[in-house]
Amino acid sequence: MNEGNIVCTVCPTSCLIDAKWDEKELISIDRAQCKLAWGYISDEIFDPKRVVTTTVPTETGKNPLVSVKTAEPVPKHLVLDIMDTLAVVQAKGLVNAGDVIVADVLGTGVNIIATSNSD
Amino acid sequence: MRTEQVDVAVVGGGPAGLAAALSAKESGAEHVLLIERGERMGGILNQCIHDGFGTKLMGEAFTGPEYAQIFINRLTNTGVNVKLDTMVMDISSDRELVICSSDGLIRVKAGAIVLCTGCRERTRGAIRIPGTRPAGVFTAGVVQEYMNIRNLSVGRKVVILGSGDIGLIMARRLTLEGVEVECVAEILPYPSGLARNIVQCLEDFEIPLYLSTTVVDIHGIDRVEGITLAKIGPRGGIVRGTKRFVKCDTLLLSVGLIPENELAKKAGIKLSPVTAGPIVDDHFQTSIPGIFCGGNALQVHDLVDYASMESEKAGRSAAFFAGAGKLPSPSIKVLPGQGIRYVIPHEVSGNEPVDFSMRVKSPEADRYIVFKQGEKVIRRMRQIELAPAAMIRMRVRSDRFQRSLDSLTVEVAD
Repeated sequence: MNEGNIVCTVCPTSCLIDAKWDEKELISIDRAQCKLAWGYISDEIFDPKRVVTTTVPTETGKNPLVSVKTAEPVPKHLVLDIMDTLAVVQAKGLVNAGDVIVADVLGTGVNIIATSNSD
Repeated sequence: MRTEQVDVAVVGGGPAGLAAALSAKESGAEHVLLIERGERMGGILNQCIHDGFGTKLMGEAFTGPEYAQIFINRLTNTGVNVKLDTMVMDISSDRELVICSSDGLIRVKAGAIVLCTGCRERTRGAIRIPGTRPAGVFTAGVVQEYMNIRNLSVGRKVVILGSGDIGLIMARRLTLEGVEVECVAEILPYPSGLARNIVQCLEDFEIPLYLSTTVVDIHGIDRVEGITLAKIGPRGGIVRGTKRFVKCDTLLLSVGLIPENELAKKAGIKLSPVTAGPIVDDHFQTSIPGIFCGGNALQVHDLVDYASMESEKAGRSAAFFAGAGKLPSPSIKVLPGQGIRYVIPHEVSGNEPVDFSMRVKSPEADRYIVFKQGEKVIRRMRQIELAPAAMIRMRVRSDRFQRSLDSLTVEVAD
């Protein structure tokens, strides 16, 4: 069995969790202040995920950039690959927050969406 | 000069100002004026493109621009009068403002004013780093604006001084954009930013964090060519033999924020030497009746959620003042005791429940925050983890206050 301290980053409280796990699953967590920690810690051990936030240039807008994010957390090991994919993307036309900029990025099933407006 | 009359004037269109203007309007103030010096509302949130905003207030994580947009949308069609590209030039203790825009100078007579002017970044000059004065020394927030709004690159190899949240966020941001972040140096023996930012921004990318370490020299004539790092001993001096040169072309400073209160000073508002923000009561009213304050102008927040909540109350109080001409006067002074750096509000009336916010002086584990009046404990809460970087919020119910006593002490205890 494995043991370790993991900071839960679901919310800013940043609980330092004592976790125990084996090869297959999370066995116990201690010192969590809410029930959201279980899912996060389990993911963090077996399949860590992150929301990627960055910017892409606009075509016409008053603002040179719009901010974008993955609509859902994506596997952590893909973060830099997603950045590479977005390095060559330019947002077309007028962009509003919520618009899909790249659909199903790298086959993750997750869209890259705008989080700000181009104008 | 043209004169306008309003019920509530809010200075600053960032998250605090948006919340204050909205709540003033919703609380019945008819003419609410929101004054923003920039070209858009949302303030610093516009450049904070990372996510994690709103988890406390809305139970969901948004990016900065999304969080701002929620408030901007709510404000639309409420009838709040928004003036962008407009600067407040002067303010007086009898609640008169002089504002300046392309329309010229306008005198605004306000029933109440809410100051939501935010804060500024500490600069190299404020922390007196020796060395040459080359290009390539930036504050973290400026780099954030350059990268996220203006699409400008700042350098190829960066050292970050200070482990404040914006510095940590920028360490990740720079790394994602292909810039090499050599290290983050922090003069204190513990990080100044939130634990989740240490994990997500540094550990995820294996960026080293050197504690009890600072920059003692900057090299380069036209452009930064490197810096000298050194270990700092317990009494604040450089530890002998620990100086080392680090090659870089950019130094990014994340060494603290200072509430911006030039206007408050002009109006003669009393400021706290600890927070650098106004002294306020539980209505967020300053030492001058009818002038209120919320957000980072009052105290530097680590979470925008609390800046919004605080300013919502300030806006509500302002609307009430504009209608009634006064508020219940505070009779209980709030004093920081053992282990507490400051507590806001600084005084309370005891007639209503109060949400206190405070910071501890040093990191502690498994202690209690205790509210005492005389020998009587009126509220106590266990804290698993206490850190100066994390603001603590605690609510005290109105029936807990002993209104016969004139003070209340908050302390860290066993």
